[in-house]
Amino acid sequence: MAASAPTSLNIRTYQVGFGDCFLLSFIYDDGKKRHVLIDFGTKALPKGTPKGHMLRIAKNIEATVGEDPFAVVATHRHLDHISGFEPNAQGSGTGNIIARMKPTVVVQPWTEQPDLAENAKAPALKRFGKGAAARVAALSDVHEIAAHVVDATRRGQLPREMRDRLSFIGEDNIKNPGAVKNLMTMGQKKPVYVFSGTKSGLDALLPDVKVHVLGPPTVAQSDKIKSYAKTSDQYWNFQARAMRAGTASARSKGRSKVLFPRHVASAGPNYPVEARWLIYHARLAQAEQLLSIVTMLDKFMNNTSVILVFEAGSKKLLFPGDAQLENWLFALDGTNDKYKALLQSVDLYKVGHHGSWNATPKKLWALFKKKKATSGPGRLKTLMSTLEGVFHEDHEVPRGKLVTELKNQSDLVSTNKLPKSDLFKDTLVQL
Amino acid sequence: MRHARGSRHSPVNTQKLTIIAQDPSIRIGGKIVVSEVDVPAEELLAGPRGYRVNVIDFDTATSTLYKPAVLKRARDGQYEDPFALPPKANGKPRKRPKGYDKTLVSDPTFHAQNVYAIVMRTLAQFEFALGRRVPWGSQGHQIHVAPHAFADANAFYSREHRGIFFGYFTGPSNRTIYTCLSHDVVAHEATHAILDGIRSRYLEPSSPDQAAFHEGFADIIALLSIFSLPDLVGQLLDRGTPRGRMISKAHLTTEALKKSVLLGLAEEMGVGLSAGRDSALRRSAKLKPGRPYMSMPEFSEEHDRGELLVAAMMNAFLEIWMSRLKKIGFVAAGKRDRSLVVEEGARAAGHLLTMAIRALDYCPPTDITFADYLSALLTVDREVVPDDKYGYRAALLTHFNNFDIRHARGADKDGTWKQFDGQGLVYARTHFDSMLRDKEEVFRFIWENRKALDIDDRGYVEVQSVRPSIRIGPDGFTLRETVAEYVQIMTLQARELKTAFKITSPPDLPPTMRIRIFGGGALIFDEYGQLKYKIANRIEDARRQTARLKYLWESGALDGDQDEGLRLARLHRARMARPERSE
Repeated sequence: MAASAPTSLNIRTYQVGFGDCFLLSFIYDDGKKRHVLIDFGTKALPKGTPKGHMLRIAKNIEATVGEDPFAVVATHRHLDHISGFEPNAQGSGTGNIIARMKPTVVVQPWTEQPDLAENAKAPALKRFGKGAAARVAALSDVHEIAAHVVDATRRGQLPREMRDRLSFIGEDNIKNPGAVKNLMTMGQKKPVYVFSGTKSGLDALLPDVKVHVLGPPTVAQSDKIKSYAKTSDQYWNFQARAMRAGTASARSKGRSKVLFPRHVASAGPNYPVEARWLIYHARLAQAEQLLSIVTMLDKFMNNTSVILVFEAGSKKLLFPGDAQLENWLFALDGTNDKYKALLQSVDLYKVGHHGSWNATPKKLWALFKKKKATSGPGRLKTLMSTLEGVFHEDHEVPRGKLVTELKNQSDLVSTNKLPKSDLFKDTLVQL
Repeated sequence: MRHARGSRHSPVNTQKLTIIAQDPSIRIGGKIVVSEVDVPAEELLAGPRGYRVNVIDFDTATSTLYKPAVLKRARDGQYEDPFALPPKANGKPRKRPKGYDKTLVSDPTFHAQNVYAIVMRTLAQFEFALGRRVPWGSQGHQIHVAPHAFADANAFYSREHRGIFFGYFTGPSNRTIYTCLSHDVVAHEATHAILDGIRSRYLEPSSPDQAAFHEGFADIIALLSIFSLPDLVGQLLDRGTPRGRMISKAHLTTEALKKSVLLGLAEEMGVGLSAGRDSALRRSAKLKPGRPYMSMPEFSEEHDRGELLVAAMMNAFLEIWMSRLKKIGFVAAGKRDRSLVVEEGARAAGHLLTMAIRALDYCPPTDITFADYLSALLTVDREVVPDDKYGYRAALLTHFNNFDIRHARGADKDGTWKQFDGQGLVYARTHFDSMLRDKEEVFRFIWENRKALDIDDRGYVEVQSVRPSIRIGPDGFTLRETVAEYVQIMTLQARELKTAFKITSPPDLPPTMRIRIFGGGALIFDEYGQLKYKIANRIEDARRQTARLKYLWESGALDGDQDEGLRLARLHRARMARPERSE
């Protein structure tokens, strides 16, 4: 039986601190609801948040969805987007709750396709194109590098002032095997792995709603964009191997692998006076290096984000996960007129990457035609899930300039300003 | 009168030290290629620690400080090179002690010696070319060098940390690769530190050319400096084939040389990066000429753009070398005399290396472009060889043009800078002797002559340096010139740029954003203290400033999130991380 058309949409923005969790509830003219959960994760909750906060959110999602049709989108595998899908051994974790809701389908980026690294040439996997296997293998290397960095910060070899920032980004990029496996198996149907231009897998769930997939591009798609510096997928394998030289032994035995054991002058902590200046600066330089690496790999992972535009009734709603510039470039490429037109008429924008400096490219922001200085009907709505003060001030998230622009040019809802007692904020959109 | 070492003779100027000539992966007959190089003689403490370089071997990955290299004083007042091969006996090749190669790789004191010698040698090349002492870009007289600073495939110079840091990493066959053992990597990093001392504003974001210049220039110095080691070049020309006094012409074609070890950078690192890549980390000379590179989007990216400079320079070098070889002819059918081939290569490379370094004095101190650098190179050569009898300028022009690099807009028809028309300049209020060294005096000269020099007086003007440049003139006499550089700085709101300087801001640039603009010039005074060249980027050049602003805005440099202190480290990492370019 054909379903009726949706008349309104409630977007529930959950307070997950530094993370994302959005429940989209499409309300159809027959009164029935259909839901899509986009991400469920946190890296840091606001100070003073009571214990069991994420569990309360999971239960709220469960209660809100009830027996209605329901799907899950996990935009990418960062901790702050999927930690809520982690089950526990007792079956009482947040991930267990979402799994027992039995989503009809789970949508993820193409890079999550299992076995892609091993069987890239298998007929079913060929559609992901040349270079797909290397990209997937690189993701695994990225996890290993992040683990090395977290390990280095824990061993206390790096200057104190850099440790928090390094471990924050590092931990966000370490592997979450429990959540990944849960996402793979929780759906009633086989998971759908999407890339730019493919079907979303949500069409059956959401009648009369067109869901456009703008990203992530495959390797072949992004190779068509020539105007920016790329990072080779092989690099991550190389980098992971390079870092093993200094840390493998340390991780296994708690002691470092010394290159030249017969030539050691001092293993610290009291080094000769004449060497101390260099030692402090070498450590600082190394911490800065590691930060540069984790920033690169964080971006790399962000750029696997699924970018969706929901077109329902007269409205278009953009959910880009944490997509950063390189992911956007394919969608914003001059040849993609269709995408450009879609983006120009967006009514609601989920602010990318918690309001960071390069996840809302100037080119994208310039496209939005509904942004304007005066409030009133038809003005662009923006939703931002973020937490101030968790990144170092040099890389502030959310970025002050962007927040000012969002406030001046759109109706902004930010979890950063939610009262502590609130679990979520609802935004109703008439379609 | 006796000198310090108890001898009536002057102390020697150089000291021989053994280095790995390329890197441990470059072998002949299965043996690592080593070379004894001359470095400036000086008092050395444990480290080695001399008057310009202080090697401290600390590994951050393991928090280990290694013992310093200690060079013992020999009877002749020089230091003993603990890794020197035994001297040649009866013309026979030097015999290596057992386990010699293994020692080179496994003894950190050799690593310390290797970095010390290559950094000092590179510094000496700059000082030789410029005829003056050259400062580091970082504060202080002695730069720190850490040969095993971290477990990472990177090496970089950091102005803020006053040091050059070398990483180590595990290669494909689980062998540890030490970046401090790569001549190219060490010479490249030392060049960054020296270039930063000569032109400190070249590390600032400005244009695709300036972003690429540091990398390209450091590559050029690393590649050309190898040719001053004749034994090594002779061995590497036809590596793997039986060697003798003759060398086959098949090894001496431009294409064969482009593929040779001599024209590739950092072979071991290249192999370490990934299988399937060219063995060298970078082989710019193989770029195909004749494309509109400077306007191609992929070459606006700084690493690739830097390669254009290297490709132009190294192709010019090959042409000059080949043309010199044609003049010496064959000594047997299809064979040339190896030593003559090497000698001609060393001459051509030595001349180009000196030109490449000296050209820096003839470049504007801010916002350098490849076009400026080409004009500077041509001017330097015209000063030394007015009639271009060896064809250096013709070769440079051809090959820079082949890679789409044209000479500067304000230059003469032949691409060289125009000499300054000194009419109207007032010298009476300054003193010749002070003008040779005193920044205040040069500023006074600028102040009195700002109109004649066409220097906008609205902004801040500072004379950054006054340095002598000493060289041998075309007539064989010593020539002393004085090079002064001044910088102009002004900070305005974006909305003021149009009215004040006719600079067009990018449309979406916030109108109240504070924008800092730069100008500046190099003033070259001849041996009589008369201004000979003024090579400047005027601060009010609306076209240049508009292009600069557009680049800064689009590249995100105005967002304030870029940590400039780590720019070179980031640049090197991105260089290694980029995919291999398909030709």
